[in-house]
Amino acid sequence: MNRRTFLKTLASGALAVSLGSRLNPLSQALAQTPGLPNLVATKGADLPAMFDKSLTALGGLERFVKKGQTVLIKPNMAWAVAPEGAANTNPALIAHIIKNVLNLGAKRVYVYDNTCDNWNDAYRLSGLEKAATEAGATVAPAHQEGYYQKVEVPGAEYLKTIQYHELYLEADAIINVPVLKHHGGAKMTAALKNLMGAIWDRRPLHRQGLDETIPEMFLYKKPTLHVVDAARVMLNGGPRGYGDSRYLASQMLVVSPDPVAADAACAKIVEAAGLRVPDYIARAAKIGLGEADLTKLNVQRLVV
Amino acid sequence: MSLNKKISLKIALPWLRRFLAYGFLALLLLAFLNPRPLSEVVAFLARFQFGQALAHLASGGDPKTIALVTVMALLTCFLGRWFCGFVCPLGALMDLVSRLKGLFGRRRFRYKPFTFKSVLIPLLTLIAFWFGASTFFGLLEPYSLLVSKSLVYAGPNLLLFGVIILAFWRGRSFCDFLCPTGLVLKILALASPFHLSVKANCLKCGACSRVCAAFCVDGQTQTLDRGRCLLCFDCLAVCPNGSLSWGRVSAPRALPVQSRRSFLSQAAFGVLAFGSWLAPETLRAKTLGQPDAAPILPPGALSLAHFGAHCSLCHGCVRLCPNQALVPSSVTHPALWDRPVLDPYQGFCQYDCVLCAQICPTGALRPLSVEEKHRTRLGQVTFERAECVIVKNGTSCGACAELCPTGAVRMTMTPLDREEPFIRDNLCVGCGACQQACPVRPISAIRVTGLLIHQTADLPVVIETEDETLTEDFPF
Repeated sequence: MNRRTFLKTLASGALAVSLGSRLNPLSQALAQTPGLPNLVATKGADLPAMFDKSLTALGGLERFVKKGQTVLIKPNMAWAVAPEGAANTNPALIAHIIKNVLNLGAKRVYVYDNTCDNWNDAYRLSGLEKAATEAGATVAPAHQEGYYQKVEVPGAEYLKTIQYHELYLEADAIINVPVLKHHGGAKMTAALKNLMGAIWDRRPLHRQGLDETIPEMFLYKKPTLHVVDAARVMLNGGPRGYGDSRYLASQMLVVSPDPVAADAACAKIVEAAGLRVPDYIARAAKIGLGEADLTKLNVQRLVV
Repeated sequence: MSLNKKISLKIALPWLRRFLAYGFLALLLLAFLNPRPLSEVVAFLARFQFGQALAHLASGGDPKTIALVTVMALLTCFLGRWFCGFVCPLGALMDLVSRLKGLFGRRRFRYKPFTFKSVLIPLLTLIAFWFGASTFFGLLEPYSLLVSKSLVYAGPNLLLFGVIILAFWRGRSFCDFLCPTGLVLKILALASPFHLSVKANCLKCGACSRVCAAFCVDGQTQTLDRGRCLLCFDCLAVCPNGSLSWGRVSAPRALPVQSRRSFLSQAAFGVLAFGSWLAPETLRAKTLGQPDAAPILPPGALSLAHFGAHCSLCHGCVRLCPNQALVPSSVTHPALWDRPVLDPYQGFCQYDCVLCAQICPTGALRPLSVEEKHRTRLGQVTFERAECVIVKNGTSCGACAELCPTGAVRMTMTPLDREEPFIRDNLCVGCGACQQACPVRPISAIRVTGLLIHQTADLPVVIETEDETLTEDFPF
């Protein structure tokens, strides 16, 4: 090694460390664990069983959640719509994840969402408040600005500051459990878009463009695992769904520590059903949040 | 009746009254502090307010309200103003404030004979109500005054402050010369067979007059104005000789009554006051001004004419709206005289929610079923395409369509190869969700203009389709 390469390596190492520490080193490291797959997609009818199989393939849930940790599980429960509408994450899946996390010895499990419909109605009608509470989680309110804390986002071009829920900031591990569906504004919503329910101030995202701003929500603190409920995918009229919405019985669950890879896989699903792919996935890959090219990743496909 | 029993009744009656009156006040405050889970309690307490129930009658009422008003009025004809003493929450508050004075020193009142002046304000208020100007009624009706001025307006409110000062200084004189509900009850109570009476052993010491916060009893001349007695029973407790008692008085000789002249004049005013409620809807003049920008009236308001004539300004709906979408209109629409309107910049009307119409005590907001609510159009949406961020900046947004509950605003592919909001007028219910969600400020690119007469919207189309399937197991 000559001096030049040594200095280059040193500099890039220092940069990586300084960036990495901001970006939650655990999730960075997890995404690149050799031997294990970067993304597991399962096909089947039973979401809890598919989750178990995915996590076994990924090396176990204990890779992502440690004993004594405070864990936040962030579903999509933004809509006052019954589970049949597939506008919110499947309650059985959320309950199953909560139970598994608690079995691993997590200290507390929190669930919240900054809802679009009235929060009481959304929590109740989505069936998630009941399912999560019965599974042993604390379902927290998120409908008032007082629950959120403003932080400065390092390296952000558009969202210089973001107001995150205090539980998002407090949690040792965050599991992002969105539902895959069509979205009138963003084209598609899955792992990346779901963080809009974790923060308070959504208006700046809409004002400056969803494709530009969505990835920047991940610059401050990233969830450690993304579990995308793609069992029944709303194909039009999203995100809420209307009486004339069509659905895709894709019967899939996409699990990955990499939100960009998870969304890239989801994009392939909706693309196969004729929907368009959002630009924010490519942008998220560009700012280094993950890998959008599935051919470069170790993807495991399982049928349950 | 033994002496013991009489003494115990004298102590029990005032305490029973205080227990009930303060209990109602506490329950009301408690219910309004946790309005959503306790909305049934709020609705019950609001319906039970005599003034609100009278206003409900004027707006057409329902069989329950008609029965309630009849029972309450008949009870008043027999027992006197029991409502003012036992139920009225503002009365209870004034009572408490007046008692505070006792802590700071002398709390002493003096009998005041009936005067014409004392009925002037409530009478004019009731007559104005007759002509559809419910604003003055709303400002002075005790329940409206208490709820709106203490629970809705966060800042110090001049009107409530004035009422409290008045109570501290002059006891319950509000109930005599300001309260419109009080005037109606006063008339009903004039000839009640149950009232205070005095025995021959009266010392004429005047102790009863000194504690009477309603100024209705004169110990010296043994005179009682039954119309003003609020049944507080404080005089029973202070009478040193046990010569005062409350009960059915049949022998005319034993009656300590007010002069015939004051009785007749009060009765005359009463007839006039009652006329207000007998006036048919068609006689009511439209007394509200024409607002500059069309306000979005709450669901169930029917029209500005109906809403304007019957809203009692209690602002219970403002306090209860789960989305905080209803606001008093004094600033935005001065011509509405502070009646609640929907402000989409504050919040939007939740599609499945009918709470405001359910708890409205006067029928200014007619109760709606969820199905009726789904078709009630409060306003009409307009979209200024040139101001939309999608058109202006070429970015993606769709916040308006995201929140639209009916699909009146939906993202649609344009020839420019991007999705833009597309309006279907016939589906719009005017809830304001799109305006609230729009990121363009200070004025949204998509906004709702209120309809002064509510309309009926079409229901969104329901097309059930079979779920599609993928051709391969994994498309990646």
